[in-house]
Amino acid sequence: MFSFIVRRVGYAIPTLLILIIASFLLMYAAPGGPFTTERALPPEVLKNIEARYGLNDPLPVQIWNYIWNIVTNFDFGPSFKYRDRSVNDIISQGFPVTLTYGIWSFIFAVVVGLTLGIVAAIRHNTAMDYTAVGISISAQVLPNFVMAPILVLIFTLGLFRLTDGQYYLPGGGWNGGQIEYVIMPVIALSTSYMANIARLARSSMLEVLNSNFIRTAKAKGLSERKVILKHALKPALMPVISYLGPAFVGMATGSVVVDMYFSTGGMGQYFVNSAFNRDYSVMMGITILIGVLTITFNMIVDIVYAWLDPRIRLS
Amino acid sequence: MSKADDNTVLQVNDLNVSFDTPDGRVDAVRGVNLHINRGECLGIVGESGSGKSQTFMTAMGLLANNGIATGDVLFHGKSILGMPVQQLNKIRGKYMTMIFQDPLTSLTPHMTVLDQMTEVLKLHTDVRGEDAARKSLEWLERVRISDAKQRLEQYPHELSGGMRQRVMIAMSMLCEPELLIADEPTTALDVTVQAEILDLMDELKKDSNTAIALITHDMGVVARMCDRIQVMKDGVYVEEGTADDIFYSPQHDYTKMLLDAMPRIDQPDKATNRKLKEYDEKGRDQEFLTVDDVRVEFDIKINEGWWPKRVPLKAVDGVTFTLRPGETLGIVGESGCGKSTLARAVLQLIPPTAGAVSWLGSPLSGLNRKELNKKRKDLQIVFQDPLASLDPRMTIADSIMEPLQTFRPDMSRKEMKAKVAKIMERVGLPQHMINRYPHELSGGQNQRVGIARAMIMEPKLVVCDEAVSALDVSIQAQIIELLMDLQEDFDLSLLFISHDLSVVREVSHRIMVLYLGRIVELADRHEIYKDPRHPYTKQLISAVPIPDPKLERSRKRIKLPGELPSPMDPTAKLRFMPSKIEANQLDYVPRLDEVKPGHYVAEHDELEKLIV
Repeated sequence: MFSFIVRRVGYAIPTLLILIIASFLLMYAAPGGPFTTERALPPEVLKNIEARYGLNDPLPVQIWNYIWNIVTNFDFGPSFKYRDRSVNDIISQGFPVTLTYGIWSFIFAVVVGLTLGIVAAIRHNTAMDYTAVGISISAQVLPNFVMAPILVLIFTLGLFRLTDGQYYLPGGGWNGGQIEYVIMPVIALSTSYMANIARLARSSMLEVLNSNFIRTAKAKGLSERKVILKHALKPALMPVISYLGPAFVGMATGSVVVDMYFSTGGMGQYFVNSAFNRDYSVMMGITILIGVLTITFNMIVDIVYAWLDPRIRLS
Repeated sequence: MSKADDNTVLQVNDLNVSFDTPDGRVDAVRGVNLHINRGECLGIVGESGSGKSQTFMTAMGLLANNGIATGDVLFHGKSILGMPVQQLNKIRGKYMTMIFQDPLTSLTPHMTVLDQMTEVLKLHTDVRGEDAARKSLEWLERVRISDAKQRLEQYPHELSGGMRQRVMIAMSMLCEPELLIADEPTTALDVTVQAEILDLMDELKKDSNTAIALITHDMGVVARMCDRIQVMKDGVYVEEGTADDIFYSPQHDYTKMLLDAMPRIDQPDKATNRKLKEYDEKGRDQEFLTVDDVRVEFDIKINEGWWPKRVPLKAVDGVTFTLRPGETLGIVGESGCGKSTLARAVLQLIPPTAGAVSWLGSPLSGLNRKELNKKRKDLQIVFQDPLASLDPRMTIADSIMEPLQTFRPDMSRKEMKAKVAKIMERVGLPQHMINRYPHELSGGQNQRVGIARAMIMEPKLVVCDEAVSALDVSIQAQIIELLMDLQEDFDLSLLFISHDLSVVREVSHRIMVLYLGRIVELADRHEIYKDPRHPYTKQLISAVPIPDPKLERSRKRIKLPGELPSPMDPTAKLRFMPSKIEANQLDYVPRLDEVKPGHYVAEHDELEKLIV
């Protein structure tokens, strides 16, 4: 296991290098730059600015400097758009917010999704199954930009009216992560993930319940509860687990719609804005963050795999 | 015949089982009656779909959700059909246990053997902790599993199929049940392992007075094991009686048919079946197929230490033989002996690592893809699983026609259709099936499609890779007959690969026995069964049950210690020459000696020295 982790970290370094170089090249291939504006700057000014940010160096030199700064100073550079703010500032401000939403969303999606999926499988072709499948399909077809206003209509405006302004959920803001402020963004963010988890859990549980070793477990005289918890659950989790890695990264790096709609101050909006604004350094910084998270969580998924199924040897 | 009395463990009266399917109601079991007494082995015999398993699944409360059962199932006079699951759970697993056909998938993959065994004790008895572990170990030793203590901590995937079935048996014997239901317990196992498992069950019956219900399609197994037999067909009992009654004076046509269709290892050709035409060497000295020292190695990844290592696994380890036109060479051996790999290497479907294959005088190995494809016209293969080896989205006529489109693009569609119709008729497929899809056909019919597809180019060599192994005996007999007919009509050569020594005896002119990638014996079919020389051949032949109870009871079996070892074990290849292992000559390759004209035997130690 230790050698597995060391080896995977070893693989992560070239992966990240390729990610950095590829994103850099793609970014430069796109027309325009951070200082192209409608009102064109005088050429001398532009030249000065570009020289200050090192943008007129040859590309390999720029990439080298960028990587060198990260390795030696953990410095991801200054933002090209937000004056006086470095990428480190923006991420250290936005990421904790997004991560909070992400963790809550993850917990919500896993708990509700797994429960729905497993119950549906155990009570296959009954009213319970149909209800669970119905819920997960509706959750999947409602995009978060539809979900968000509906939630606000019900829990902010609706509740406000019904209770004469006594109880309602605030329609936006972060407010230090207070629970009332977190609930709606979390629901909006997690429903589609939850639906996917429910679907995966249901189909894999159905498959496991039809397998021969479950028949053996029943023949031993075990109760249904024991058959499911001791024999069926672990193998049924396998496909779900492989989805959870990317799902967590998706939730933990936020969503533009949710960030904007609920004015969360999370990282999702910066990412999209940076692409619009050609804010090269912010874009690179967030890309690398997503890359590191993805690599880490895929590794965790592999470790969980080996724990769930002894046939899998970490290598 | 025994009657139902106080000694009766399980009694089934007028049981009906049906399933609601999208295509309507299917009656799987129709009015079955049976009883099993203590210390008795009842055989339930029938082909697939006869309802033999469903009868006992119902008794165990393991019927699928869409199944409906009516009638009476009495366990010690107490009705257990429709009993609430909580109550049934006090009986099943304790007094009445079941083992299943597929030992590879019947154990929970993420639990150790110990956990799976002690779970039963915890549920049904008050044996806990150390005592439970000790009791589990005791039973593992009783089922003669090697290194029993070590097995307790292992997971199912670390055990071979035979060992897993032993674990299943040990697990089901933990509470010393009154009835053990065994549903095709040895069908998925190699013959030598089967022989051991059957002996073990017979011992348990005698020592523990456990009643055994043995569900099987194999008349040989029944002859070895059972006191009474019930023959089932299409959900009803067609005949029942003592073993001697059924085998020596069968009354029902179906029973007679089952007995007739079953190939026997002690008889070259059965009076009722089509006989193999003896090989006639006249005018056939042309070079046909020569296989010279062929080797196939696979790289196996071993995860040890920091970096995974690659170790070569020698699946085929230097095999040399020739095949003559119009001849059938049977290739037998147990799982992992390399028989399928060898056949594929001959056809160049897997490129051999070393060695040469020559076909009609010119080399087949080392050709490029295009040249090889031209030769494929004459080299065809028929696979084991007829349904899985046909494209489910193509009609059977399209599947049969495909080789024509590849090799004869000059033919018009009409000519092709005519040719397909002709070959379909030849293999016994009615014309109206021409537009059917594989899933609409039975296993036997699909195998006919597979044969028609292989035969349409009128090849000179067809490899049959376990081509009849998945079929019921009656269908198997028909397919064998078809292959023999085709051989005579087209002067076809066959490489007939099978794990079933009785079938091979019926169809092959010469027989080659493989063990871990090497030939241990190669001889004429009469010769090899009459005068087997190699201990492994002797063991294989003596392990095959013969459908004749009296003969079975008096037969002496040759048992060699250990199960089929792993090909990764360096000493495994010298299992029959322990003298060389002792002399530390681990690389020694036993010589293949010609003991009589045409009879080759690999060097080995005396049989007496091998049986410890």
